[in-house]
Amino acid sequence: MNQRAHATTVLAKRRIFETLISPGYYIAQTIGLVLAYLLVAGFVRAIDSSGFNYSLNPAYELIGRSLVGAFGATFVEKLFSEGPFLFTLYIAFLPVLLYLAVSSVFRFGLEKKVGALELLTYGPADGTSYFLAALIKDILMTAIYLVVLLVFLLIAGIANNLILGPSFYYSLIILFFLSITIYAYGIFASSLTDNSASAIAVFLGLLLFFIIIVMGSFTVVSGYVRNLTSVFAWIIKWISPLFYWDLALRVVEVGNWGMYFTGIALLLVLSAVVLFISHLTIKARGVRS
Amino acid sequence: MIQTKNLTKRYGKFTAVDTVNLNIPAGEIYGFLGPNGAGKTSTIMMLLGIVKPTAGEIRLFDEPYSPKRLDLRRRIGVVPEKHPVGMWTWMTAREYLQMFAELFSLQEANKRIDHLMERVGLADVKDKKFSEFSRGMLQKLSIVRALLHDPDILFLDEPISGLDPFGVKQVRDLILEENREGRTIFISSHILSEMEKVCQRVAIIFGGKLMAEDAMGSLLNTLAKDREIHVDLEELPADLAAKVKSLDFVQDAAGEEKTLIVKVPKTGDYRKALSKYLIDQDLVPLSIHEKSLSLEEAFVTINKENINLFAGIGGEK
Repeated sequence: MNQRAHATTVLAKRRIFETLISPGYYIAQTIGLVLAYLLVAGFVRAIDSSGFNYSLNPAYELIGRSLVGAFGATFVEKLFSEGPFLFTLYIAFLPVLLYLAVSSVFRFGLEKKVGALELLTYGPADGTSYFLAALIKDILMTAIYLVVLLVFLLIAGIANNLILGPSFYYSLIILFFLSITIYAYGIFASSLTDNSASAIAVFLGLLLFFIIIVMGSFTVVSGYVRNLTSVFAWIIKWISPLFYWDLALRVVEVGNWGMYFTGIALLLVLSAVVLFISHLTIKARGVRS
Repeated sequence: MIQTKNLTKRYGKFTAVDTVNLNIPAGEIYGFLGPNGAGKTSTIMMLLGIVKPTAGEIRLFDEPYSPKRLDLRRRIGVVPEKHPVGMWTWMTAREYLQMFAELFSLQEANKRIDHLMERVGLADVKDKKFSEFSRGMLQKLSIVRALLHDPDILFLDEPISGLDPFGVKQVRDLILEENREGRTIFISSHILSEMEKVCQRVAIIFGGKLMAEDAMGSLLNTLAKDREIHVDLEELPADLAAKVKSLDFVQDAAGEEKTLIVKVPKTGDYRKALSKYLIDQDLVPLSIHEKSLSLEEAFVTINKENINLFAGIGGEK
């Protein structure tokens, strides 16, 4: 094992242990699972003789209207066509995704500022082994949570006589790879900045930017937003992980498995490119704040 | 062991380090002095591979050095000025050191940790969370961390800042002991009295340029404008200072209680001639000694106005 790989392994072990003994990860998981429970229970209460009718549940009505407003009715129909689980998956995944991504970005900035990162690089570690360790930790913690969420929703499905449809499983897999790219962008934001606050601002700005771009590809109510985002989307959609997520989910609906796996592969390629740029940025900017 | 050739660091138009040439042989305790903003930290950061030089060359262990050389970085131990606060708070001192031992793939790490913690007087607290440590304890822990992997070169940045007198002595003894075992030690500090006690050679950097570099004794001698001989006498006659002033080699003389203070040129040893003169005057010198310039006194003689006078004392021309 070369020195960078060894340093990455040593640091990753510490980061994983640290995450497992701190309350943040469990709080995010609890929030995600409570949201999952509320959404599944709310869905069950909004079923009448004609099937799911989100207007029967005030919370779902609000969610439904907002989603139709942002993404269009077709999107919302597809989202709920297999029951509550697809929507629940995305919502219940968000707290853990954001917790892991933002805490890593915050930590990177803090360690740079107080000199901890510099201290590690006095030895055989370097900035790259440090961020790879954080990425490994985030990937592992994400995988654990997705398994927990899957088990939770399987139990909820059985309890309510509902099944998890194929779109759920496709989305579950692609969400895992999507999260890797989002973590890579977190590292990129950290490598560009000197402290936690600016790193988080850049990272959240990037996420918002990607969301706006992907919104442009759906039928949105506001023509202004559509026009604005479609221009951006054509130019820079290639750097957005949400583009590949959307692509993979669209093609899998028509049974194009090849393109589905291509979408996953492209997410991995994008992650690798973003990490490589981060590596170069850290090399150029150094590990001192 | 450590060599630099025309090492330069520029930040935009500002030159922080200007063509610095260092040559530090193995086994030396080397002091690196300079006021704030002189270029000390930039030089050290380049030597550690943390900051990339704008120009020039660094050689460590007779090999070209760059941040990519992780193999060479393994042979260096670093004690930064401040230990990072607020990080790894869940770790005990032992767990913290074990992390670094693992990074360096050390065999028998616990044995080494116990030995070093004992040497710095932290044996009793090694299983306590180090986030509860005082600044002095953190400084000692930092030194232990830097020595864990038995480095060939130890870089110390302000190693005794924040330590109590007992801690200062412990660290000083540790530095001297490590040096006796053959380790090359590079110290940057503002506490000049301590530098004087431990360093064999010192360099003074000012405005990014290496202004002076020499063995401690030679440097002090060079920087001294003149010398003072202090003679303790049984009695000090009122007119003695005036009489002594008339001697060829005396620049000035004064009496303080029973001590005669004589200023002489910095070249030559005039103690014998002065003793002879006093005995001829039927006086009994009880003790005679030359007051040497302290490093602190020497350091403050260097300032913006006279810096050019000092340029070239073993340093840059």
